[in-house]
Amino acid sequence: MLTDRITPSALGTRALLGFATLILLGVAAATPAQADIKIGFQVPLTGPAATDGKSAQIAGEMAIEDINAAGGVLGQKLQLVTYDDQAKSDQAIFTANKLIGEDGVKLVVNGSYSASGRAAAPVFQKAGVVMIAAYGVHPDITRAGDYMFRLVHLGPPQGAATALYIGKMLGLKKISTITMDNDYGQATMDGFLEAAPKYGIEVLNKYSYSLKDRQFGSIVASVKRDNPDGVYATGYFFTGGPLVAQLRAAGITVPIVGSQAFDSEKFIEIAGPAAEGTYIIDSFDRDRKDEALQKFFNGFRERAGYAPEGVAAITYSAVKLMADGIKRANSAEPDKVRDALAATKDFPLLEGSMNGFNSLHEMIMPIHVNEIKDGKFKPAGEVGDLNAFAPPEK
Amino acid sequence: MGAGGPPAFCSASKDDAVYYIDLAVTGISFGCMYAMMSVGLTLVYGLLRILHVAHAAVFALGAYATVLAANATGSIALGFVAALIVTPLFGMAIYRLLYEPLLNYRPDVPMIASVGLLVLMQDAFRIVFGEQGVTFRRNAFSFRTFDIAGVTISAVQIAIVITAAIVFLGLHLFTTRTRIGVGWRATVSKPRIAASFGIDPIKVRYLNFAIGSALAAVAGGLVALLNNLVDPTIGFVVSYKALAIIVLGGLGSVRGTLVASLVLGLVEAYGTIFIGAWLDRDAIAFLALIILLMIRPQGFTGAHTA
Repeated sequence: MLTDRITPSALGTRALLGFATLILLGVAAATPAQADIKIGFQVPLTGPAATDGKSAQIAGEMAIEDINAAGGVLGQKLQLVTYDDQAKSDQAIFTANKLIGEDGVKLVVNGSYSASGRAAAPVFQKAGVVMIAAYGVHPDITRAGDYMFRLVHLGPPQGAATALYIGKMLGLKKISTITMDNDYGQATMDGFLEAAPKYGIEVLNKYSYSLKDRQFGSIVASVKRDNPDGVYATGYFFTGGPLVAQLRAAGITVPIVGSQAFDSEKFIEIAGPAAEGTYIIDSFDRDRKDEALQKFFNGFRERAGYAPEGVAAITYSAVKLMADGIKRANSAEPDKVRDALAATKDFPLLEGSMNGFNSLHEMIMPIHVNEIKDGKFKPAGEVGDLNAFAPPEK
Repeated sequence: MGAGGPPAFCSASKDDAVYYIDLAVTGISFGCMYAMMSVGLTLVYGLLRILHVAHAAVFALGAYATVLAANATGSIALGFVAALIVTPLFGMAIYRLLYEPLLNYRPDVPMIASVGLLVLMQDAFRIVFGEQGVTFRRNAFSFRTFDIAGVTISAVQIAIVITAAIVFLGLHLFTTRTRIGVGWRATVSKPRIAASFGIDPIKVRYLNFAIGSALAAVAGGLVALLNNLVDPTIGFVVSYKALAIIVLGGLGSVRGTLVASLVLGLVEAYGTIFIGAWLDRDAIAFLALIILLMIRPQGFTGAHTA
């Protein structure tokens, strides 16, 4: 048939069209990133912080999947660009430069320790990249500049809230304090000691221990002799577990109040029956009737094989907050996202609703307290007087 | 550890007595633990002149073997049995594979290899058993305590002291009453004469590592019970403290090591309260070491083996 006979010129046109289509398709396929918004993600996947890093990574990925399953943001999907920073300063700077230079990332969630967040913050600030530090507690992180945000209470405000909780809500007046000898432990205790007189708390004696300690015989004997109304200790679950067990073993039955980093199922495992009646400040309310929280809990347990800790929950929330910031800014431009984040109001974190950020971009939020009962974390009130533990302003 | 202010000495009430006895209980139980940990180090040094830093890895392995086997079988006793099987083999393997090929080098060469093994083992524990550590699953024993006229003593503390007493009595009888034990002691002090009496020095070395490792494993298992936690860093603090102890005890002297261990345990228990406000507990061992080396370079007991 005539129509079937293709003239040389028509062949050329068709081939050209086909070729052009191919190129277009190819370009579209090769650059899905144009349709995606990249979120840089620093987590410690190797080294001593790898346990928390793994939790943070799983939580971050779950957040991205949930966001994309709900249609993404501004019609685009989010994509996580993950780097292992080993919770070390040098690796944090190296991966920050990689995120900026190679990956062209403009928005970052730092799901790592203070050493990382503190080192990465000035690098991102200089490049005009927005960073949310999920749980890095060092004050320098937000001081690096206005592109920095933090989603965890600083040590001193946590300590001040603890003083309010112990003195006013528990009504305990004679306290022995036990401080873990590092930045976190000391800063938190300093906040407590400063605020304690306001609530009529008398500090009987102050003891301290090093991060390596698991044996507290001398401190325990001394606390026994102090005969206090209560004991306040800062530390991590792996120091707090043995400490609480040894205090209880010595017949000290008064309430023991622990700092945020006691918050781990492992704490209950180590301290065993001695964990009963320990209060943990700024601990994560696992029972909250919240669909998102229960869904996260089950999803995380399924993927990780263990229950999520505070680190996982806050990292998930940090990614969600970043997505929300993009949505409210109606743009993924870092300046606009920064302004939107700074204007955050009543955003639902997994831990509860945060009020917003202050001028230094420190999180404002009531502090929840758990008590260990029947081997489980049970809600034991909330410190809601935000003025009593206001973080530093710019 | 440290205290804000030492309690007043002047008002010696019953409470004070209880307090000082409480501290003594802590100090003695720790001293016994240090002794079981350090004797293996002293034995190796006495025989081979090697600072066996990796002994801390043997201690940690003993702790892991105890907790894992106890959790698998439900019996803490079987946990210790497992540790007593695994660690002597591991100790002998360290000698055969790490130290023997290096015996003809300067003494710092095997020591550096030893440090390398310790670091390797710590990371291996981290990778295999996890950063968070392992706890005993059913362990009412760890939490049992006795109140004797106000003084608190835990079941594990009693177990530590009794175990140490049995172990050192047994070791004493072994090295004085049995042929192989006497041969061992002879090899340590007079290797040539011992060899001329037909004692195989190589067998003695294996025996040495097996017994030293078993002691460290028992100490590791008891500390695991005491803390109800075995994490990859469990051997770290004891590792350098044990080095200080064997120097304090006069290198190579078992009796000196025992004395130094008990003294250090007590000094730490009281020192934590009285000088801990400006000195870390773990630094006390080294302060004592520096002072002793200045006034008594031959160690507490003055035993010479070099």
